[in-house]
Amino acid sequence: MKRRFDAWILALALPLSAAATAADKDRWELPVASRTLDNGLTVVVSEDHSSPTIGVSVVYHVGMRLEPKGRTGFAHLFEHLMFQGTPEAPKGVFDRVISGGGGFNNGSTRGDYTNYIETAPVSALEPILWLEADRMKTLDFSAGNLKNQQEVVKEEIRVNVKNKPYGVFFWDGLNALAFSKWENSHDGYGSFTDLDSAKLDDVRAFHRDFYGPNNAVIAIAGDVKAADVFALAEKYFGGIARRPVPKGTDVGEPLNTKEKREKQTDALAQVPAFAAGWKMPARGSADHAPMAVLAQLLVGDTAARLYQGLVKGREQLLNIEGGLNWPLGDAWDFDGPTQFVLFGLYKPDVSMDAVLDAVDEEIARVAKDGVDATTLARVKTKMVADYYNGLDAFILRADALAKARMLWGDANAVNRVPGWIEAVGADDLKRVAARYLVPTNRVAIDRVPAPAAPATDKK
Amino acid sequence: MKTTMISLALALALAAASASAADPFVPKGMPAYGPDKPLPVPEIARKTLENGLVVWVMPRRGGNPKVDFVLAVRGGKAADPVDRPGMSSLLADLLVEGTPTRSSARIAEELQALGASLAANAGNDGISLSASGLASGATALARLVADVARNASFPQDELALAKGNALQALKAAEAEPDYQAGRALDEVVYGDHPYARTRPTEASINGTDRAALVAAHAARFRPDHALLVVAGPLTAEQGFTLAGEAFGTWKGTGKALADTPAPPSVRPLRHVFIERAGSVQSAVRIGRPAFAAGSDDEIAATIANAVLGGDFSSRLSRVLREEKGYTYGAYSGFGANRAGGVFAAEADVRNEVTGDAVAEFRKQMQSLVDMPVEAEELTRAKRSTAGIYLFRNQLQGAVAGSLANGWLLGRPPEYLGEFVGRTNKVSAAQVQAIARKYFDPAGLSIVVVGDKAVADQLAPFGSFSTKAK
Repeated sequence: MKRRFDAWILALALPLSAAATAADKDRWELPVASRTLDNGLTVVVSEDHSSPTIGVSVVYHVGMRLEPKGRTGFAHLFEHLMFQGTPEAPKGVFDRVISGGGGFNNGSTRGDYTNYIETAPVSALEPILWLEADRMKTLDFSAGNLKNQQEVVKEEIRVNVKNKPYGVFFWDGLNALAFSKWENSHDGYGSFTDLDSAKLDDVRAFHRDFYGPNNAVIAIAGDVKAADVFALAEKYFGGIARRPVPKGTDVGEPLNTKEKREKQTDALAQVPAFAAGWKMPARGSADHAPMAVLAQLLVGDTAARLYQGLVKGREQLLNIEGGLNWPLGDAWDFDGPTQFVLFGLYKPDVSMDAVLDAVDEEIARVAKDGVDATTLARVKTKMVADYYNGLDAFILRADALAKARMLWGDANAVNRVPGWIEAVGADDLKRVAARYLVPTNRVAIDRVPAPAAPATDKK
Repeated sequence: MKTTMISLALALALAAASASAADPFVPKGMPAYGPDKPLPVPEIARKTLENGLVVWVMPRRGGNPKVDFVLAVRGGKAADPVDRPGMSSLLADLLVEGTPTRSSARIAEELQALGASLAANAGNDGISLSASGLASGATALARLVADVARNASFPQDELALAKGNALQALKAAEAEPDYQAGRALDEVVYGDHPYARTRPTEASINGTDRAALVAAHAARFRPDHALLVVAGPLTAEQGFTLAGEAFGTWKGTGKALADTPAPPSVRPLRHVFIERAGSVQSAVRIGRPAFAAGSDDEIAATIANAVLGGDFSSRLSRVLREEKGYTYGAYSGFGANRAGGVFAAEADVRNEVTGDAVAEFRKQMQSLVDMPVEAEELTRAKRSTAGIYLFRNQLQGAVAGSLANGWLLGRPPEYLGEFVGRTNKVSAAQVQAIARKYFDPAGLSIVVVGDKAVADQLAPFGSFSTKAK
């Protein structure tokens, strides 16, 4: 209640009424309760009794940036091993208990964190908490399970990268080109050599160092009472001792000062594609929210400047996708350096040079003229609506809250994002367009179909 | 005009599904599942406008302040002319590209100002126009949806652009193993039936002109063959008023489409190998004809599939992924259309284990044919199925979409609310009967897309043709 009142005061105080948005009438504020246990585990609860279900997210503060050198892909391989059983709950139990409770689960590995998410009827809450606590304590460090998941991860890389036109060059290729520190530039999916080199000792050390309660946040959204969840968290997680977490290195990097372009051939693709990335301001800096809004203006939907200018208008592209911290996250869930990324397939009579020239023209328009009040208002309205839609499902809501607590130090950051968006003005967009979206801070990859390779009998 | 509220108190639904005390997989110290809460049932108010448009309103309270509209019309890809397969996709794409009073860009900008999205999707049996936006803009969004649905004008320049892009998109899609395999499997399962030709060809894209789209639009977009679902923070009366204002004067013209005939329920076994040079994985698809929506088999088949290949804890994933490490994911599913359907299982596996993976699929299916499923696994399948229903029920847009899709398939609005109760009655004998009918390897065709070096591994399963037709 109090926050809504503050927002109302703010709206009166600032002469922004000309740019008043539909979103002013459609505010949605999540209830947030938070408590940190003695062992350092932070518990976040957001009650919603509209459905007898829950979403759960356990986020650990370790991701691809922190995996050991010579072990590319290890953070992700480790994520898979978190589902391979413990001494108490052997392999298979985790999935069976959650499925039998009417739920489903998943996990994902990102640069700055790794998350484990479940959703289920609320009747499965306690078994889920027990299972999450159980694998926070220790795992079944078994050679057979390690070998099995090394194979599964390699199949994942085959299906998403090696056997697929374009692979993920708009992610791993751009990172390799844009960043100078290994933590930011290496391939987070990992080389097969590094994946095969992983040892059980690596697994034990990673669990010990990064998977303790003091390096984690658990959030629960749905048909629960905060006080009950805090008590259950104490019951199941309270006995897990905190563990020392290795001090990370500084992964920060300055903007680039010289454009880099690369040409890649693709033996599986039939249509050429391009990807471009620009290094971004730091999370929470004064330029962050303006850059997020600028990304929405440029590539957020079908009204966006680059869709209207390049897919329509100049008719150079078949499609365009991208955004701030795309494709492995959104504008708010990163910590270390990230990029504003564009990816699209282009037409046979077009070149990447022409595409990038057109992109630069659209960016220059913003840098020079800013954006009119009507356009800015509707861009922000859509951005807030999209943001709300991302919080709809309890499982994603819990995940957003856990990530906000971990990356922003405050789960309530989830409720502040709409205000950050609203506060961005046209001058902010001009400033960040001119500062970040310049060719000298850009990397680009031209991905063209390769002529068919000659058949080989090599086994 | 009659209004009906459906609100069956379905507390019985989960009663049969409490956790089994004899579960051998429950670790010591792990708490039991808590008591189940009553299952929520969507409250749907129904009304038919005078022009024949069926309107279902689902009032919701609190949460995300948004409104959803889904307009479903009969006539999808199966209704496309024989020489223009996939034309419905162009029709759907072009709906939002202009009306006499709104350009494509203006539609996009109005949507943005409403915090809304609008997209049309062509399925086998119909086209769904789905809009979702901030609740304060409900009236404006309803008008926009109606303008697009009723007055889409298919501007020549937009059509030319869409056709050029569709030709390139087709080229890009044909490079994907999943696309190649899906196309071949549809041909194996449906033969010459319209459900087999739902993907565009170069000729069909080039051959689609404005007159064809205008005619198809007139035949399909008519109130007496359409449903509007409205969901959001509004009352039933408010929903009906919105619908009446935006669609009340809508009139159908010309002749409505004929129904799609039923495809044959049995097809000759046909194994297909499609060479894709340089593939490092084989896309394995195993399938056969199954049943249309509304079949007596479909509830038991849902449970049987949950046992076989519905999620991470199902047999296919447990064995092909977790035991053997052949694949990132092995799944199966039934796909029911209005007139007929398919059963298919799939995995992408590395080249060396292609034959072993096919053998393992068949072994897992055979074991469900031969042996009744045990109580613990059956209960888990039912609870998992109920949970998926509950999860989707959280989401207003998902429920609105399910209702509209169900209507296209011929399902009444009660179907969603009654679904879990029906699945809970399924017995082990019914699961085995489904397995005998649909999982028997002897009746399943195999499609593999991969490098020619893997073809030898397929020899034990019979002869493979290089073409689906």
